Amino acid sequence: MTSRTLAVVAVLVALHLGAAPALSHHSNVAFAVETVLTASGVVKEWRWVNPHTWLIMDVDDGKGGHVEWAMEGRAPGVLLRAGWSRSVLKVGEKVIVHYSPSKDGSKVGMIARVTLADGRVLPNAPPGD
Amino acid sequence: MVTSRSVATIMALAIALPVVLLAQSAPGGPTPPDFSGVYRPVNAFGPPAGRGARAGGPPAPAPGQPLPPPTRTAPLSDGSQGRSPNAPLLTPEYLAKWQAMSKARIAGSSDSDNTLKCLPPGMPAMMNMAYGMEVMQTKDKITFFSELNDALRRVYLDGRTPTPAILDDPTYAGYSTGHWEGDTLVIETVALRDNTYIEGFTPHSDRMTVTERIRFIGPGLLEDRLTVTDPVALVKPWETVKTYRRATSPPGDQLREFACAEGFEHAK
Repeated sequence: MTSRTLAVVAVLVALHLGAAPALSHHSNVAFAVETVLTASGVVKEWRWVNPHTWLIMDVDDGKGGHVEWAMEGRAPGVLLRAGWSRSVLKVGEKVIVHYSPSKDGSKVGMIARVTLADGRVLPNAPPGD
Repeated sequence: MVTSRSVATIMALAIALPVVLLAQSAPGGPTPPDFSGVYRPVNAFGPPAGRGARAGGPPAPAPGQPLPPPTRTAPLSDGSQGRSPNAPLLTPEYLAKWQAMSKARIAGSSDSDNTLKCLPPGMPAMMNMAYGMEVMQTKDKITFFSELNDALRRVYLDGRTPTPAILDDPTYAGYSTGHWEGDTLVIETVALRDNTYIEGFTPHSDRMTVTERIRFIGPGLLEDRLTVTDPVALVKPWETVKTYRRATSPPGDQLREFACAEGFEHAK
């Protein structure tokens, strides 16, 4: 491997690590579903779309900064019945997201539950479902 | 005042009424039951499998109390716990296909998930109706609509049979014909594509056929007993039972549009 190849590889790796999370759609096999972690941060975007919703957020990194995460939620139809809505999350709002991390280590999580600033909890399934 | 005559009348009605109802739904009778309506599945994903698999949102916590652990809404179907004893019994060729998919899924690949590609779930998997089902019934046709992926199937009740052209053109929902046997709708489905799954991600061949017996087992409680036959992929026919509860009041009796492709990059 030449030094030039190494440089190209290094740039590619850096680009990959620095890229915003890719919003491809996943099934739960892409996530460590037995693990539920907590992320606190601020809503950047709330995409109320099928087949899966997306909460893009700036997560506190614990050092005074933040890093962008993409949290994948269930379909709007299911979330509607669970008490969510197209406007339930607002840009700039503080939220706590309980999520299962992706197996590939990217900054993408599967939403298990969201706690709003006022303490209201949004579950990921309708009551009794 | 209750006279002995009115008591006799009431008693006669009490005896006659069930007989009349039975007569209406007897084989060849004029009035089959009306399945029309919106339904939600009862235990859509079957019995819980493993820790945390219980469906449903967490109960509301008391103020100041810590939240219970979140729940997830479907068992993890990556095959990491092997095949369930209740799963379809696969021939060696199809078991090998399942094992290859399982290996990829355990590694985190969603490639085998047709629904994430916005493809219809297909029969028989669509009868899970995980997000809700709407049934539309006329004398000659009954239509089943799934909120998940806006999937639709039509069951013809007018006596038609699949033509060679139909059999040569497999689809996700297949080609379904049905007839009434008393209170039970019996459906045969053929002409199914081979790139769907029987359940979970159990593969099958294009020779799969599905027989269903659908009936009310209680007020608003609809049962579908499915038998899946596949001489290539299955060692023996596989049977399963789905149950749905009729939603009687808004907003539960409304399905939402799915419009699956809207979240994809190419659709923006």
